[in-house]
Amino acid sequence: MEVSVMSSSQAKICKTELGCRDLRSCFGKTNDQNRTFSRKPNTVSFDSQISRLRKAGLRFTVKAADSEPILEAKSSTSSKSLDRSRLFVGLPLDVVSDGTTVNQARAIAAGLKALKLLGVEGVELPVWWGVVENEEMGKYNWSGYLAVAEMVQKAGLKLHVSLCFHASSEPKVPLPKWVMKIGESQSSIFFTDRSGQHYQGCLSLAVDDLAVLDGKTPILVYQDFCENFKSIFSRFIGSTITGITMGLGPDGELRYPSHHKPAKSGTITGVGEFQCYDTNMLNLLKQYAEAKGNPLWGLGGPHDAPTYDQPPNSNNFFNEHGGSWESTYGDFFLSWYSSELVSHGNRLLSLASSIFGDSKVDVYGKVPLMHSWYKTRAHPSELTAGFYNTASRDGYEAVAEIFARNSCKIILPGMDLSDEHQPHDSFSSPELLLAQIQTTCNKHKVEVAGQNLASGAPGGLEQIKKNMLGENPIDLFTYQRMGAHFFSPEHFPSFTKFIRTFTCRQLSKRN
Amino acid sequence: MAAVTVDSLIQNPTLLFRSKSKVFAETVLAHWSVLGIGSFSSLGALALWLQDQASARRRLFPSNRIEKVEGKIFIRLDQSKNQQDWQLTVGCSLPGKWILHWGVSYIGDSGSEWDQPPKNMRPPGSIPIRDYAIDTPLNKPSKGDMFHEVKIDFNPSNEIAAIHFVLKDEETGAWYQHRGRDFKVPLVDYLEDDGNTVGAKRGFGVWSGALHQFSNVLLKAEASPADSPNNNNNESKDSKNKNRHLEGFYEELSIVKEVSVGNLVSVAVRKSLETSKLVLHLETDVPGNVVVHWGICRDDAKRWEIPAAPYPPETTLFKNKALRTLLQPKATGNRSGALFTLDEEVFGFLFVLKLDDNTWLKFEENDFYVPLSGASSVLGQHGQSESTSEEISSNSYTDGIINEIRNLVSGLSSEKTQKTQTKEAQESILQEIEQLAAEAYSIFRSSIATFPEEDVAETDTDTTKPTVKISSGTGSGFEILCQGFNWESHKSGRWYMELQEKASEISSLGFTVIWLPPPTESVSPEGYMPKDLYNLNSRYGTIDELKELVKSLHKVGLKVLGDVVLNHRCAHFKNQNGIWNIFGGRLNWDDRAVVADDPHFQGRGNKSSGDNFHAAPNIDHSQEFVRKDLKEWLGWLREEIGYDGWRLDFVRGFWGGYVKDYLDASEPYFAVGEYWDSLSYTYGEMDHNQDAHRQRIIDWINATNGTAGAFDVTTKGILHSALERCEYWRLSDQKGKPPGVVGWWPSRAVTFIENHDTGSTQGHWRFPGGKEMQGYAYILTHPGTPAVFYDHIFSHYRSEIAALISIRNRNQIHCRSMVKIVKAERDVYAAIIDEKVVMKIGPGYYEPPSDGPQRWSVALEGKDYKVWETS
Repeated sequence: MEVSVMSSSQAKICKTELGCRDLRSCFGKTNDQNRTFSRKPNTVSFDSQISRLRKAGLRFTVKAADSEPILEAKSSTSSKSLDRSRLFVGLPLDVVSDGTTVNQARAIAAGLKALKLLGVEGVELPVWWGVVENEEMGKYNWSGYLAVAEMVQKAGLKLHVSLCFHASSEPKVPLPKWVMKIGESQSSIFFTDRSGQHYQGCLSLAVDDLAVLDGKTPILVYQDFCENFKSIFSRFIGSTITGITMGLGPDGELRYPSHHKPAKSGTITGVGEFQCYDTNMLNLLKQYAEAKGNPLWGLGGPHDAPTYDQPPNSNNFFNEHGGSWESTYGDFFLSWYSSELVSHGNRLLSLASSIFGDSKVDVYGKVPLMHSWYKTRAHPSELTAGFYNTASRDGYEAVAEIFARNSCKIILPGMDLSDEHQPHDSFSSPELLLAQIQTTCNKHKVEVAGQNLASGAPGGLEQIKKNMLGENPIDLFTYQRMGAHFFSPEHFPSFTKFIRTFTCRQLSKRN
Repeated sequence: MAAVTVDSLIQNPTLLFRSKSKVFAETVLAHWSVLGIGSFSSLGALALWLQDQASARRRLFPSNRIEKVEGKIFIRLDQSKNQQDWQLTVGCSLPGKWILHWGVSYIGDSGSEWDQPPKNMRPPGSIPIRDYAIDTPLNKPSKGDMFHEVKIDFNPSNEIAAIHFVLKDEETGAWYQHRGRDFKVPLVDYLEDDGNTVGAKRGFGVWSGALHQFSNVLLKAEASPADSPNNNNNESKDSKNKNRHLEGFYEELSIVKEVSVGNLVSVAVRKSLETSKLVLHLETDVPGNVVVHWGICRDDAKRWEIPAAPYPPETTLFKNKALRTLLQPKATGNRSGALFTLDEEVFGFLFVLKLDDNTWLKFEENDFYVPLSGASSVLGQHGQSESTSEEISSNSYTDGIINEIRNLVSGLSSEKTQKTQTKEAQESILQEIEQLAAEAYSIFRSSIATFPEEDVAETDTDTTKPTVKISSGTGSGFEILCQGFNWESHKSGRWYMELQEKASEISSLGFTVIWLPPPTESVSPEGYMPKDLYNLNSRYGTIDELKELVKSLHKVGLKVLGDVVLNHRCAHFKNQNGIWNIFGGRLNWDDRAVVADDPHFQGRGNKSSGDNFHAAPNIDHSQEFVRKDLKEWLGWLREEIGYDGWRLDFVRGFWGGYVKDYLDASEPYFAVGEYWDSLSYTYGEMDHNQDAHRQRIIDWINATNGTAGAFDVTTKGILHSALERCEYWRLSDQKGKPPGVVGWWPSRAVTFIENHDTGSTQGHWRFPGGKEMQGYAYILTHPGTPAVFYDHIFSHYRSEIAALISIRNRNQIHCRSMVKIVKAERDVYAAIIDEKVVMKIGPGYYEPPSDGPQRWSVALEGKDYKVWETS
């Protein structure tokens, strides 16, 4: 009989339009009698459970969405504190991979509903340059992404769009075909390392203002893309779409691709390499060196830097004591290298804020957490990535400054990383670095949003919690990322628990 | 898609028949329905949904291609005007040829069997189905109406306890049921409530023969409270029922039906009472001339055989291994069909369909298979057990989540007390979240691989139906390959004879497939420099010895792979410039058959579609005549020698699309290509991420359209580094999956650790010495199709290898088994496969969890490896 009780209770919910907007307002409103509703184990088949609950759920969701405004008013006591921390969940990177189709649309739809019910604010949607503008310049195909936006809107969730002007290796989303074609004959549009290897994950920042793309500069191409996006998604922007992240480089982050391959977790990462060897970067370096009166310094990058996977002390440049990084030459080179990155960031952020500034959306940019070797004096990983941040110099001042100037917010990934779980002897400290960047951002009144690494670090959820509710509370956190692992029995329960602790805190605050 | 459908039929084998009569096959023929396999009868009928091959190939985005029509089924019980009689109305708003398949149960009946309703209850147009049911078509009440309905009048004073029915759409053959069973409308108090009652405020379930696992049917229905006059109190209604007061009700549920995606093939079998033969009727609505390419099998191996005559009209023999029958158009509709008469002891009926445009219609990539033998159909049983385990795991999963959520709810419960309604609302949300997550998980999990051509259905079927999938790329899925030679095998000149002596030994070790050395005349003694392809006298033996060998291998149940070198061929003669590029023998090609881009051989063909092998003229596969000749040759090898499949040498040398062409023509049982190129290294150290390497192999498999598997060179390479340098972390990729081809496309990965090139006396890339057993502990417990090198089989490793094979077979690990990596650290790697086997390799410590649901006991232990199985 319990099944039938279940059904009738649902029917009542629908009728009375009771409903609570999400799980958060439900927690703490029960007692142990709830347990009497547990299903008979093994007697009801999986399928029928699904169908039963699905049916109920659909109906309920609709009602729940309808009743949202009322509840907003009802639960005003809690909404204030809830609104301060908004949680987003990233959609799968390949939610749209051919421009037109929403991959695994049914799973996405189910996932959106589940998130809505859990009380998640919205989802993050990666929009790939190589998907939308794949065939030829100026020919955009937004249909798949529009369909996703519709789904998100229908589910009553918010949408944070990440404009990705980079490529992804996993799942494989290359740069647009026509760009890659240009790259075949003109490899200097890509970042290049000392051994001449090209990084095809994004365009070199040195070509930002060079008309290398069939007579157009990449900045103009990005601009057209953003403007087209804005006009196509105008009906969502400001309502469903509440945030836009501007892609700034490799993996969307403001940095040089100092590691061509993604770092593997749990192992000690090498220092990476400087990426200043494409002809355009070398030209810039040459000009800079000549302007500084040291033309001989403009012929190439540091000769004594280690290679990708080597530790700092394997060559002279990053040596803890007396390394070239502390020399006049080192300062010359690192100043130039980092300032090129900052100018690049400024170009893109001002582009984004000029386009989206008049809309009701927040514009974000992602700054990486180059945490390995942070505990050495030279911070080699940050230096190769373009942040002139050492034991004696705050390299994030300039970065925070451009975000402040363009009224943009910073997304910091890696909020799930804790020092405790870093490999031994790695001199890595994600926590210290995070604290440093946050302090600098606070100084410049730049808001910081958080993100975790999609790979799922050990103890990650605990660390995220700590970061979100800690000294520098995070206004927006994007949890990465929906997919098989996310909904798996290994992960999903801990995610719901994660949300629960949020709720706990908010409840306890209220009391 | 097709697999899912059949699964659903199989998993519900007794769904449709609640008849007191055990003879139903005639019924099947009478109204051409789609039936499950009756587990209580030796006669089964099986219906299969198909998609045409073309769309199956483009299986990428199934959601896009599916047309959905939404509609409603409604059920109304009300009193007619004269206050005496009652009327049950069942209707459906979807277009279709709807049939109500119904019966009644009488007061005092026990069990759930149906009876014929009394004559006066039967609406006009009803057809009695034996002695237990009625088929009544639904009609439009008037021309203008959009819905179909049927009304059944009855007088509640007679002894009828309940009306039972299911709804069938004759157009699609789909059945619509209620909660997985027939709908039941109780007319008297019905204490034994078994869950499928209508009109008692229950959730509705729709089950449709073509649709399953929430993949196709979107369930949206709940009893609509607004329309129901008495929806808000079950108690009062129950009590009224007890007093034998009927209450009218109205309920509806929406259904979504998919249309126009597929064609239907239905197969019904009945036993002819006069001749004690089986009569199998096959019918399809695939348009045009349809040829059934068919045969029978006599055991589980599903090897095609030709049955004894008589055959249906328009039947011809095809290559001595199958029969071809042209289906005859039916008088009505656009269907065609044929009747096959088979001997009683036939084990199964195998077929594929060939359409007008030369496309083949298969079941997934496999033959259709209709089990005929024995009271318990193998298929049926298997499906059953599979579905049970699926259910349990799903339950335990969802239970896990609900407990989690419940904990958090109860953890806060002291804070406030709430009204009951809120509590229920909450519970429903919790349950819904749990269900949604489970659903999303199941879909995401099924398409976890990221290369675009991944067959989404593949992993889907993994868990539900590992047995019957035969494709040239995978064989049965349970294959274990023996590499039947080494680099020295040619030396004795009588290898075929030597191997023949070992045939039964190899088979008894548990191998299912054996790879023989290249059979053709060759410039090099090992056979990889072929010259006259039709001359099969080689250093391994004569053509007759080869035939003998294949025969004996078949006798012990081994499938035989021929090693075919298609990339290059040595010439017989020089051209006018003194270059060796003119061929002799039966395939006397000239230099147009040689690719143009190898300067050594001055070919006049097109540029090579792959890499060049520089020691011999590379064959230009873009030439029509070359392909035609090679296809004929492969067909000849199949027929003349009896090879079951191929090991394809140096497939890097030409486009995989040509391989597909060759495989489609030669229809191998199993095929594997050698795509061997270098892994990526940075400064002399192998990269952790070998995705680019495995992607190249995957790309090749894709080019063959999945018709061939490929040797998993990536896995071998990574095993080298992991074992040699004690870097076992390499055995997990960034996503926590196996890092080789086997992590991405397990069913097409042929895993191996050594072969005649890498090891043996050549040693081009020898597996780390002394660590071979760790390699085998890995590949023989993991998904993929493992291949074991001859030298290892006949070495001191033999008993350990045999033990691993027997663990694999015992636990039914197959090429699509699920592997869960639980440890990948510096000195130890451990994984759980299919929740049935745990393995670890490496010197480090690992023991399987002792607190989990399974109890693990050690099955095998050796130097730096250990394997457990459930006890």
